[in-house]
Amino acid sequence: MLHKRIVACVGSGGVGKTTLAAALGLEAARRGRRALVLTIDPARRLADALGIGALGNQPEAIPADTLAALGITGRGTLHAMMLDIKRSFDDLVERFAESPETRELIFKNRIYQHVSDALAGSAEYSAMEKVFELSERPEYDVIVVDTPPSQHALDFLEAPQRLLDFLDSRLVQLLLHPAFAAGRFGFRLFQRSAQRVLQLLERVSGFAFLEELSEFLLAFEGMSEGFRERARRVRALLLGEESAFVLAAGPSVEGVGHAALLLTRLEAAGVPLAGVIVNRVRTWPGGGEPPARIAEGAEEPAALRALEQALATCCGVGYPAPEAARAALAALRTYASLVRSDTEAIAPLRANAQARGLFWRRVPEQSRDVHDLEGVSRVAAALVDPAEEIRSG
Amino acid sequence: MPQFPTAATLRPLLGHRLVIVSGKGGTGKTSVAAALALAGASAGKRVLVAEVGRDEHLPRVLAPGSPPVGYAGRELRPRLSAMRIDPYAALGEYLGLQLRVRSAVELVLRNRAFRQLMDASPGWRELITLGKVWHLEQMRDAQGAPRFDLLVVDAPATGHGISFLDVPRVVVSAVRSGPLRRNAELVEEMIADQNRTLLLPVALAEELPARETVELVAKVRGELRIALDRIVVNALTARPFPPGLEELDAQLARIPPEPGWPNLPLPRVVAACAAHLRSRYELNRVYVAEIARATGLPVVPLPFLPSGIRGLEDLRRLGEPLLATHVAEAA
Repeated sequence: MLHKRIVACVGSGGVGKTTLAAALGLEAARRGRRALVLTIDPARRLADALGIGALGNQPEAIPADTLAALGITGRGTLHAMMLDIKRSFDDLVERFAESPETRELIFKNRIYQHVSDALAGSAEYSAMEKVFELSERPEYDVIVVDTPPSQHALDFLEAPQRLLDFLDSRLVQLLLHPAFAAGRFGFRLFQRSAQRVLQLLERVSGFAFLEELSEFLLAFEGMSEGFRERARRVRALLLGEESAFVLAAGPSVEGVGHAALLLTRLEAAGVPLAGVIVNRVRTWPGGGEPPARIAEGAEEPAALRALEQALATCCGVGYPAPEAARAALAALRTYASLVRSDTEAIAPLRANAQARGLFWRRVPEQSRDVHDLEGVSRVAAALVDPAEEIRSG
Repeated sequence: MPQFPTAATLRPLLGHRLVIVSGKGGTGKTSVAAALALAGASAGKRVLVAEVGRDEHLPRVLAPGSPPVGYAGRELRPRLSAMRIDPYAALGEYLGLQLRVRSAVELVLRNRAFRQLMDASPGWRELITLGKVWHLEQMRDAQGAPRFDLLVVDAPATGHGISFLDVPRVVVSAVRSGPLRRNAELVEEMIADQNRTLLLPVALAEELPARETVELVAKVRGELRIALDRIVVNALTARPFPPGLEELDAQLARIPPEPGWPNLPLPRVVAACAAHLRSRYELNRVYVAEIARATGLPVVPLPFLPSGIRGLEDLRRLGEPLLATHVAEAA
């Protein structure tokens, strides 16, 4: 998968997409590729570790000696970048505005000021636009994208088209050029009904609002040709041969449910899915499953005696070994039940992934938050560790 | 220096008319909303819990096996109704109230160009959703009493969740006059009414969710006028060892691998399990303290339920600590 040009991590919020994206980028660098990780909203300390704490909206290199400390000494490089959505959208306006006057008109419009970062799908659109821009640069072999956390993970694919449909819609055309539209289409039925809709809309929302909206759209309209061509190419890139998608999921029943839903939707949209990664799975130390007898609570007296004796020997006189042994056994049982519930929760997703011929990885929960490159490197190791595959089987 | 509420002065959660539960994806926000609604109904209140978004999650936890409740909503349990606020359904209802001509509403809603316009337009989903909440809040029964004593709204995930509440204010400032502005003003008034409405953020005691919560609180204080008096921190790992044995995992790690013991995993496995629980517990403590410190708000701790929410019993286990009015400053 890492030989693709674009690797996109998708999934619900809170599953650790950013960490996984960073780990995939690091692994690509380890394999000698020049990788760029594009993140949307990283945790502060992870951002600091990647050297993107400041809002640069430009790729920053991870220094070679930092990579060398992680054993990456080949020709592979790693860059990271945090996307500034508002700025990316402003950049788009800059690029496609017909004239400096249009640009100023857009930047000054109150609707743009208030909603440019909330304009339907603008986050997703900016992210994908940036991916496209970066993919045209020769200095990266692979770009790993952490997609925006959205309720409907397909927004980033659908957003550009929705934006174009919007600009194309007859209502918008009417708002923009009432006289022209009436002259050209006035005799057609649908146009009359659009006119009617507009009148009703005005009654509901008020003229002032429509006026403001119309000004905003007028300024935007000139840019739609540029947008259209761009949106088409972005879509072609993402759905094409050069891209691979990875679905990230959390190990809970709810997380797996969301992931299954997403899997179906991604497939229906024709997205080139490569695999499923379940993040932060509680795994049994040393691999395998927790022994059944622990969960069942059998053999307690013998186990307690053994623990108590070992603790008394190690910790010396005065250590409350009987109490400690009970606490240790309780901890063992608690952790075993967590491992079991995660294993059970993810089983259907695993079957789902395998039925679709996708690769499947579990990343064990790390004992602390992943907030440095060491941690990212451990996650990367888990991603490539085929033992995970065997163990979970 | 503003006075933040202390543990002693927390108003009972069930004393509010409208509670908006917000939080990042994965924090268990929907479970908290369901637990609050159930607790309210158990306390004799007439409750409506509403979720916002494409999918329905509430019926599954509140009444397993029941069909979707949809926009019309349904009483799932005694005194407890649930609904899903679908923006287009709310828009239809709103247009119906405004235009008073059913055929005109149908014309608007079925118009393809109108759908395209609405699909791409920002803000209206949030506004119409809040407008529906306002409408529900205004509903009165035959005796003139509020139809619902408690409305619980499961807001969209944070980020989106803040802009959700921000939209009426934006409309009021961007639109100079007209019905849209008047409606936005009514919604804004409801949100800003400290006696009616409370924002209840749900966080996890981990780095990213903690940071988002702190940012949310800062944004609410800076820009939004909505009451906010506590933070719910969900899924906290229980203290793994009794007092006096805090270092148990380290002691276990000192046990030599030989001779091992019967009927137990290897000593290092036992030590690793204990160490894992302890590190999660300590990680949680760090971020609970951080949330409390950075926001100056009391934290309502909720336990981690290993198997997730499987039924009403689990919701009740969350409901009890959720309603507590005496909570530690930093759990």
